[in-house]
Amino acid sequence: MPGPDAKKPDPKRFEVSRNTLLFDRFMGWFIRFGGIAVIIAVIGIFFFIAKVAVPLFRSANVEQSGSVEAGVVPPVIGVDERGEMPFLYEGGSKLTFLNFVDQSTKELTVPGLKDAVITAYAFDTVRQRLTYGLEDGRVGSFLINYERKFNEDATGSWLEPAVIEEPVFTVEHGEGPVTAVSYGDASDPDDPSGARLIVVKRGEGQKASVSVIKLMMKKGLIGTAKLRMVGQTDLSSKLSGEAAMVRASSNGTMILVVSKNGDIDYFARDVLEVNKVQTFHPFEGEVPQQVDLLYGGVSIILTSRDGQQQQWSLFRESAESVRTFGMVKEFPPLPKGAVVFSNSLRNRSFIAGAGNYLSLRYSTSGDVRWEQQVDYKPVAGIIDGKSKHLIVAGDDGVIHRYQVNDPHPEASPKAFFGKVWYEGGMGAKYQWQSTGGSSDFEPKFSLMPLIFGSLKGTFYALLFSIPVALLAAVFSAAFLPLSVKRVIKPMMEIMASLPSVVLGFLAAFWLAPVLQYRVPSVMLMILMVPLSVLMIGYCWGRLPVVLRNRLDGGQEWMLVLPVMFLFGWLGWILGPVVEGWFFVYTDSSSGKQIADFTMWWPQATGMAFEQRNSLVVGFMMGFAVIPVIFTIAEDALSNVPKSLTAASAALGANRWQVVWTIMLPVASSGIFSALMIGFGRAVGETMILVMAAGGTPVMEGNIFNGMRTLAANIAIELPEAAVGSTHYRTLFLSAVVLFILTSVMNTLAEVLRQRLRERNKIV
Amino acid sequence: MRQPSKENNLFVSTGRSSKGEPWIWLTAGGLSLGIVMVIALLGLILIKGVSSFWPRQIVVMQIDGENGSNKMAGYITERSERPSEGGNRIAQIQIFRGNKDIYGESFLYLDERNIKSQEISPGYMLVERTEYGPAILKPVKLVTPSGTIEEGTQGFDDAVQRMIAINEEVREQTRHIERKLIGANARAIRDIEIDLKVGKVEAEAAAAMREVLQEEFVKFQADAAKVRERIAGYEFHGLTADGREVSYMGSQLLGSFRPNDSNWFQRFWEMLQRMWRFLIEEPREANTEGGVYPAIFGTVVMTLTMTFFVTPLGVIAAIYLREYAKQGQMVRVVRICVNNLAGVPSIVFGVFGLAFFVYFVGNSIDQVFYGDKLPTPTFGTPGILWASLTLALLTLPVVIVATEEALSAVPRGVREAALACGASKWQAIQRIVIPASLPGIMTGIILAMARGAGEVAPLMLVGAVKLAPSLPIDDIAPYIHPERKFMHLGFHIYDLGFQSPDAEAAKPIVFATALLLILLVLVLNLTAIIIRNRLKKKFAVSHF
Repeated sequence: MPGPDAKKPDPKRFEVSRNTLLFDRFMGWFIRFGGIAVIIAVIGIFFFIAKVAVPLFRSANVEQSGSVEAGVVPPVIGVDERGEMPFLYEGGSKLTFLNFVDQSTKELTVPGLKDAVITAYAFDTVRQRLTYGLEDGRVGSFLINYERKFNEDATGSWLEPAVIEEPVFTVEHGEGPVTAVSYGDASDPDDPSGARLIVVKRGEGQKASVSVIKLMMKKGLIGTAKLRMVGQTDLSSKLSGEAAMVRASSNGTMILVVSKNGDIDYFARDVLEVNKVQTFHPFEGEVPQQVDLLYGGVSIILTSRDGQQQQWSLFRESAESVRTFGMVKEFPPLPKGAVVFSNSLRNRSFIAGAGNYLSLRYSTSGDVRWEQQVDYKPVAGIIDGKSKHLIVAGDDGVIHRYQVNDPHPEASPKAFFGKVWYEGGMGAKYQWQSTGGSSDFEPKFSLMPLIFGSLKGTFYALLFSIPVALLAAVFSAAFLPLSVKRVIKPMMEIMASLPSVVLGFLAAFWLAPVLQYRVPSVMLMILMVPLSVLMIGYCWGRLPVVLRNRLDGGQEWMLVLPVMFLFGWLGWILGPVVEGWFFVYTDSSSGKQIADFTMWWPQATGMAFEQRNSLVVGFMMGFAVIPVIFTIAEDALSNVPKSLTAASAALGANRWQVVWTIMLPVASSGIFSALMIGFGRAVGETMILVMAAGGTPVMEGNIFNGMRTLAANIAIELPEAAVGSTHYRTLFLSAVVLFILTSVMNTLAEVLRQRLRERNKIV
Repeated sequence: MRQPSKENNLFVSTGRSSKGEPWIWLTAGGLSLGIVMVIALLGLILIKGVSSFWPRQIVVMQIDGENGSNKMAGYITERSERPSEGGNRIAQIQIFRGNKDIYGESFLYLDERNIKSQEISPGYMLVERTEYGPAILKPVKLVTPSGTIEEGTQGFDDAVQRMIAINEEVREQTRHIERKLIGANARAIRDIEIDLKVGKVEAEAAAAMREVLQEEFVKFQADAAKVRERIAGYEFHGLTADGREVSYMGSQLLGSFRPNDSNWFQRFWEMLQRMWRFLIEEPREANTEGGVYPAIFGTVVMTLTMTFFVTPLGVIAAIYLREYAKQGQMVRVVRICVNNLAGVPSIVFGVFGLAFFVYFVGNSIDQVFYGDKLPTPTFGTPGILWASLTLALLTLPVVIVATEEALSAVPRGVREAALACGASKWQAIQRIVIPASLPGIMTGIILAMARGAGEVAPLMLVGAVKLAPSLPIDDIAPYIHPERKFMHLGFHIYDLGFQSPDAEAAKPIVFATALLLILLVLVLNLTAIIIRNRLKKKFAVSHF
């Protein structure tokens, strides 16, 4: 009974304090916001990586960025490195420079050409050299040099063009005016003594002759080094037809002479010798209209009169033969008409145009990066040194300038996933080679060898892991006593957490050297251990029931151990014996016989044997993959409802029948999901493969050589890749491939597992 | 009674049918193989790791090879065989003979048939040096400032030990002067340069300050030279097995031990000392000698920083998914995504970390806060902060999944009881649900730490280096340097095994490092497993 002085109950006693409510609301929003943010961030990882890779698939962006009225239609156009000041040349002694920055024009005269009658000329973009031939059979050349000058206070700068004249030489052979010239130059600033040559054609038709003038920087008796002629060679007798066109590669190592009948004679220069190597005939029934050399000097682009365009490259037909030209790829045809061509000095792209059509093409992948119908007929064109501008002269007397933005010309779906015929290769193939020694190296970005490597590593890892993991899971789920299981399951989990760098180190530095000379032993062990275990099981089954009953179920794994050790050891020591029987290598020169598997294998199969091979990788990856598969498969098998197994046992199934007919089918989808998660783990494994797989990106299923996988490749190359380069983005693309590969597998596994869970619930 | 017919036979043998018994044994074999693999691997690393510290006895061998007779001293590191003509196998041993400065290679393979005699002769000494790894020699005499002591006389070994102790002190003091004092001096000069560039100080003032610092620098150098004088008078003379005389300055010697004249306990004690030095010393000679202290420090700091980031993020995400989000199709999909991420290869996270944290976030930070140091990047380059964040993302799914599991294991009744008592939703979570699920959350965090500590692939991209000049936490303001690169045990293994100039010489250290890393991961894992088992028991009781 409440006393009279009892306090009245506080009317607010059921109300929650405002602070609590406020705090509750705050925490509610905080956690919602935080939770969603974390989840979005985590899922955003994929999109961020993909975003870096996306620019690879953009085609070139080319926009007109200016034009200058020139009033002439020049046959030759050249330009400085940044595309600011092109020059025009029409033969004669005058060069016209157009400035795109201030629209001014400037004329320069070549003094030595004042009274000369020029009958042929050619421009080499690599050296900025114009070579000319005169009516009287002399040839000469001059260089166009751009120099950047700065204001006194360094606020502004302009280009100052200049002409550097080079000596003139007389052609001894042939007669008539010079009708075609081409200059090749192997010298460089570090070594100015490199050989140079000028290919000259004189006369026309029947009388046409072709000769080579060989030049060299040489010191005379007095004074400094001067360019001197060291000989002339007449090629006329070696030609297969009437010469129409001559072309020397800009490094002067090869000379091409195109005949009227469409044959092309290829001469190679070796120091001072010029030898004919090959005659080839491109375009069936058509005649080449134009022959142009690509950056790097081993490929030519041929365009026929009806607009077909082909790339021919130097390569060896077989390992011993000399390098000859062969057709590598065909490009989409051009319209008929005079062809405009200029190649980039940075990569394998080039301009190709004819009629009203203009395009930017990339030779490695054979892609057209950009194309457009323009409202004038292109007459001459050039790409600037940085490959940032196209300068095109039209028949309307206007010089057009285009801004090119094509940071990743090497990239295309075909380059990543298709077969590509690279320069110097013997055929189209999948190849990964991201960096090379020289600047004219052609990067090879096929992801296929890496994907193949990943799948190969995974295959050999799973080949070993799946049987072991599934057998272990079955035994553990069906027969192992609970008390033992409590120890063994965590042990398997610990196996899963072994750092893969330790596994990789052991594989490379301990296992690989041990196994190198023990392959026959390993093969014997793989054969003998399971057979011996099966045999022991068979013998056990033959024993009287009374004896067998002495052993509690689930102890077999301990009894099996000594047998396995015994037969494993037997296999190990018998290996060399077997090697002596079957794997005898015969030395071809001395006839000696050596029992050595590492030498026998290459001789017998033609495939390589490496110390760090798939066998080693497959076994070591087992440590990473077995526990993953084991844990999930074991869970799936253990969760098979007891009612089912008990019922089948009650109906008279023996313990193996219970496993085979009830547990395995019911848990099949769980086991399948375990396999897929194991697959995901193996595909993504990095360190073991970085350390123990050798790292050569080959596409060979051979178990005794290594591989390079997507993941290992990223780990090795990404730290060195320049940010934003094609190489960098391609590595991101391979990360995307890896992500998708594992995600698909894992999602599938997850869905399967959930379905299994629901089905077990119903049962 | 009628004899059972043939068909009926099928039903007779139910109890202990022998059918399928071979297959059962095969499954048992699979399990045994798995167990053997784990134990063998752990055993191998344990044995190799520990034995790399064990002072082995020095064997003196007489070798008759193709290039004549030769005497050599060293300890045997490995026995193996290689095939030869006619199917024979030739037994060979690998010995470590030290004295790399004399022979060029310190490891050597010998055919056992070429060894004419071997004996463990007393007197040989293993001398650790600052360069070229250890030397194996017979001591001859020790020149000290106070006179020469011949080998064999009383107190020779004590004198050597004294000299080494003095050298130790000298090295300690000079290191202090060079690293701390001269280092601070150099930083001060660099800061003046930057201030000058930005225009904070006048050129004259800067020159004056530079002058003062320069004087200080000269004084420090004089101090260091003075300290070095203490060891200058010592010289150690010895004789190699093939009779060459060698001598070392006192400042070159770091330790000495006579394995052939020591008993088991002395060698055991030496092993413990070596282990201790391995843990606390810095690496020397391109990491092939010395200890791994910076790598241990880097691993621990990186793992703790990662835990600091991953715990709140993971727990909040899990609480949201389990307690706040509406359980439906959407949450199911999110859960699959999170599970999926756990299976995404770690290198992919490294790729993301490099592009997002280092190049995107890091460069932005540099532009805003460290503009005056550009183009030298401060945060826009791999470092320990980015490595920790990358690994935090990598381990986030582990924490989310574990926390969710722990939250869902809290009985519904407990939650409802709390709400019925008038607790707000957050109060119920904070006071009831989280404490009840704390062990589960802890398990998740520890598993995440174990995964993070052992992961190397992403670190190759976002911050681990071969040799970091300074630790990420030290006594130079601002004390914590999240932008610094760091050393890591796992990366150390990779680097030593594959980038080291002398991989053979590095092998013992790699095995020791591998043992250390495995121990770290094992301890973390076992802790998690133990907590989880306790937890199971606890919930088993509360389940009714």
